[in-house]
Amino acid sequence: MPRGFHKQIRWPAATIAIVVSLACSLRAQTPQVPPVPENHAGHVPVISGGFAYIHNVNGGVTTLLPQINPILLVPFGSHVLLESRTDFTGFFQRENQTSGPFKGKVFKTVDFAQIDWLANSHAILSVGKYLLPFGLYNERLVPVWIRNLQDSPITAAIGTRTSGAGDGIMLRGLVLQRSAYSIQYSSYFSARSGVNQLEAARTAGGDSSIYLTRLRLEAGVSYQRFLQQRNINSVATYISWQPRTVPLDLKAEGDFNYNGRGYWTEAAYRLQQLPIPALARNIQLVTRMQQFFPLHGGGNSLPTVDTHRIDFGLNYYIRDDIRFVSSYGRSFSERGNANVWNVGVTYRFLFPLFPARKK
Amino acid sequence: MKPRSLVQVLFLFFITATATAIFSYGQQQDQSKVPASQKPQTPKTGEQVFNNNCSRCHTPPMAISPRITGTIVMHMRTRARLSRQDEKLLLQYLAP
Ligand code: HEC
Repeated sequence: MPRGFHKQIRWPAATIAIVVSLACSLRAQTPQVPPVPENHAGHVPVISGGFAYIHNVNGGVTTLLPQINPILLVPFGSHVLLESRTDFTGFFQRENQTSGPFKGKVFKTVDFAQIDWLANSHAILSVGKYLLPFGLYNERLVPVWIRNLQDSPITAAIGTRTSGAGDGIMLRGLVLQRSAYSIQYSSYFSARSGVNQLEAARTAGGDSSIYLTRLRLEAGVSYQRFLQQRNINSVATYISWQPRTVPLDLKAEGDFNYNGRGYWTEAAYRLQQLPIPALARNIQLVTRMQQFFPLHGGGNSLPTVDTHRIDFGLNYYIRDDIRFVSSYGRSFSERGNANVWNVGVTYRFLFPLFPARKK
Repeated sequence: MKPRSLVQVLFLFFITATATAIFSYGQQQDQSKVPASQKPQTPKTGEQVFNNNCSRCHTPPMAISPRITGTIVMHMRTRARLSRQDEKLLLQYLAP
């Protein structure tokens, strides 16, 4: 075991211990709630996930990105869940960038493969390869059928080294819940791994947010300590708001670490309340603005020069699970400005692993 | 357009969008349009749990087959960190 390992593991272990004991003590304080009538919900294993075909043009270079990310969900009773997502993304570019036939290959990545034990409201323990809960993007917005704009924000590389996933344990749950708000937490420790499809860095961190139920506003902060080579702290603060009366989705995040700092803000508006023809109400308009400023030369998947970027998107929801997506973005930096176009289609599939029983 | 002015335009858009949202939220409060069922005193319903949580991160599905509702809600409990009670209410609402 490397020297200093015990020292490095001490504080994350202590954090997890504190959180567990807090969770247990809070459990005892949970107020009595009225019983809920029985339901007919089944726990059949599920195959779900996203499928997308994106045509991307970045600075004049075309990339075709077909992708499928199946998720397997296998419950064992109502307290234990096995969940796993594998990503297959094809990258096809012209042989000479702007001319010639398209060539490329399909990359396969196991995004996560974990077992969750849903012990109670305050403690959900996950073991295996899990997505690092850092900021809004990695855990929530990565699926192609969820993100409003297909390109990731620049700062998505902060707090997600090296693979966006951790190998180890994660504990999460509610700290407390009241009618007006709830406070939640996640904390994790990941070991370093170079095993094929299980790549992860030695990191420890946590995330906590408050969700104001009536306002539908969530504000949170994530922290991560990267425990390899140079120990690096990464911090994110974020806000996510879906107002009750307007079909708006507002999100903003600020990120900071040794390699740089930056932020993004995104607003998405569905035209569904406007007095326009019904077909046009399925349109969603999106805009995102972001800036990034490198520190110590940037790097680690972050730009090495000041970069600004704006994006405008227009998505069309055919159903809740199928949509056409399109966006235009322009990035500005001293290395040169570039236009980025994306058009495509995204689809979320969802079906039971076993066919329906015959009546 | 220079990057700086574009940034300003976008920032203004963001602020306007936020202001519109705050304004309409305030208006709703003024007109006391909040249904009685959403007032804190009355016990929560599964529909409220769904409305308050399921469109936070993505467009929620229009319908989920009852056979897989339990599995989906377990999965979303891990993502949205919902309480056990919220899970029960949701299951009752989605698969009565
Ligand atoms: C904190 C964010 C968040 C909230 C809140 C949330 N979801 Fe999800 N949901 C996700 C993410 C992320 C995925 C995609 C899972 C993946 O790709 O790893 C997802 C996937 C799904 C899927 C596809 C099947 C699956 O489980 O992957 C369904 C159905 C779904 N959500 C329904 C719901 C319902 C119903 C609610 C309300 C209880 C809800 N979601 C609340 C983040 C959220």
